[in-house]
Amino acid sequence: MENKSVHIFEAERIGNYLLGINVQDSEKNTYADAMQKLNIQFSKYEQALWEKMIKSKSKMACIDAALAMKEPNNNVRRKLFTMLAILEASPNYTSYFLSRNFSFFYIFKIGLVGIRAVWRAAIGIFIINSIKRKCN
Amino acid sequence: MQLSYDYIVVGSGATGAIVANSLVEAGVNIAVLDVGVEDELYKEIIPNKDFISIRKEDENQQDYFLGKQFEGIPWETSKVGSQLTPPRNFLTQLTEKLIPFESDSFKPMESMAKGGLGGGWGLGCYEFSKPELDAIGLKESEMLPAYDAVANHIGVSGIKDDAAPYCLRDLKNVQPVSELEQNLSGVFTSYNKQKKNLNNKGIFVGRSALAVITKERDNRSAVQYKDMDFWSDTDKSSYRSWMTIDQLKGKSNFVYHKNCLVLKFKEHDLGVDVIVKRTDTSEEQIFSCKKLILSPGVLGTARIVIRSFDYKKEQLPVICNPYCYIPCLQWRMLGKEIEQKKTSLGQLVMYLDEKNDNFDVGMAALFSYRSLLLFKLIKETPLNYADARIIMQYLQSSFTIAGIHHPEKGSASKFIRMEQNANTYTGDILTGQYILSEQEIKTNESREKKIKSALNSLGCKPLKTIYTPHGGSIHYAGTLPFNDNGENFSIHSNGKLGGTKNVFVADGSGFKYLPAKGLTFTLMANAYNVAKNVLKNG
Repeated sequence: MENKSVHIFEAERIGNYLLGINVQDSEKNTYADAMQKLNIQFSKYEQALWEKMIKSKSKMACIDAALAMKEPNNNVRRKLFTMLAILEASPNYTSYFLSRNFSFFYIFKIGLVGIRAVWRAAIGIFIINSIKRKCN
Repeated sequence: MQLSYDYIVVGSGATGAIVANSLVEAGVNIAVLDVGVEDELYKEIIPNKDFISIRKEDENQQDYFLGKQFEGIPWETSKVGSQLTPPRNFLTQLTEKLIPFESDSFKPMESMAKGGLGGGWGLGCYEFSKPELDAIGLKESEMLPAYDAVANHIGVSGIKDDAAPYCLRDLKNVQPVSELEQNLSGVFTSYNKQKKNLNNKGIFVGRSALAVITKERDNRSAVQYKDMDFWSDTDKSSYRSWMTIDQLKGKSNFVYHKNCLVLKFKEHDLGVDVIVKRTDTSEEQIFSCKKLILSPGVLGTARIVIRSFDYKKEQLPVICNPYCYIPCLQWRMLGKEIEQKKTSLGQLVMYLDEKNDNFDVGMAALFSYRSLLLFKLIKETPLNYADARIIMQYLQSSFTIAGIHHPEKGSASKFIRMEQNANTYTGDILTGQYILSEQEIKTNESREKKIKSALNSLGCKPLKTIYTPHGGSIHYAGTLPFNDNGENFSIHSNGKLGGTKNVFVADGSGFKYLPAKGLTFTLMANAYNVAKNVLKNG
């Protein structure tokens, strides 16, 4: 039961990071179910990363961005990836994933998002390096 | 309990189903022995609706899009079968337990399912050219009518265009081609504008011939463009081998035995004994027949033959098409909405025929991306998931994926080996090695470069070349190469297994060469001929 509440809290944080909104209970419950079934195990280093990520949305974004470049198969990303899949396969969030006709100006948003992703990765690399040093 | 039949067919995949159908039509008494795994989890819960409607409406879509055990969220993509969607996962179920395969350099996919790997077939139908058939060891004069007979049975749609010499050739009874989706339509229009220049470089692009019906027949609906091709077979517009098996089940001269893993055969004066390990009870059972036709797939046949000849030869050659895929960005489609009605199948194919002789042709099947869901694509980007989602949602419609197959021949560094191992279900294990020579790698890279350059000129900017491990093409052949001298561990051109009187092989074990074009249609045509030869033999 305790685990479930931890997972529900994680789902809330990850959902907010991925889509920028508060996700519904049904998706949080599915995430908790997935975590129970997938039983993702963390190393000491991954646990330290996760504790940092779960504390704030911006740290989650930066660490995720750094790991995407340096350690794409890190287990902490698996948790985020699972929630991403759950949100996509939910009729409540279809519009966040299906293609639509974007205006020409949307390309500027894409450019800004790209720059933000690189900026987040740069900060993230600094964070994960410091965590790595502490864990060694 | 011993059961006796005139003919026994091993396996229910693309070749087994065609052999069984031909024998049943000839009125003889036959049994198919098969493990016969079926999808019991997902078939009934996938709504008969199009992809967009399902995505917007179905509250239970997580069950089949992600899988009840979340197996549809692949993390280790190098694992065999990890690319299958949850409703297709049954195709590889039980294989690790019943028919283990170990290798660092060769990762084949096998199936114990009813309908075999045919359940995941991309449905491309390619009638091979004379030089290709010669190199394989098949006679064109015998294959052409067999192609027609198979096309009649499974239903093929297509059109005579620049690609016809590489796929349809003179195939009869072809149904009208399916409607081309928007993404590939842009590529095709661009090709037609630059055709002359590209043809001079040996590049030809055309519509795929597909085992998909566009006109209703035999209780099968015409293609409905629901874009659920990777998830369900509800309309039966795409041909699957299990449909033939289900159709045959109603015939009095046909019996389907499930849970039967064939271990080996023993010939005697009156015919053949087939030794089976039942997968439900793990007990051995013996079936007998006058003639045995092996079609469990190339690696399955190798296992049965090696055991039946008492492990006298443990190592056999093998061939498998090298395969890679290239995601491309098609700028014309940037930021556009993907149409509701479409299919996920490769409707367009690019051929590289530099010598213009229809031999050693490179092939790239072109697909768009949607129904496999965006999260799998997001995972491949070097960006954080939240930002990658925003970018990939915009780019989604502009992805054109080119799946490149290379033609392939055997060599001493490509083989499989059977080793006895008391810890496995059958007491042995198949291992293998698949290493390309430097020259082969160079030739393939040069072919890929030319295909990428052609894609670029068609407005598809190649982003990255992703190589799958050897075995990833799921095309296997050449373990018992065709040879009319009757030697052990070879197959006569009529399908008879060397060193036997009444055992035939109907799968691709005899093929000495693999064209880049998909071989399923040719496998089926060869199986049709083997069935005819079995009947001729009495």
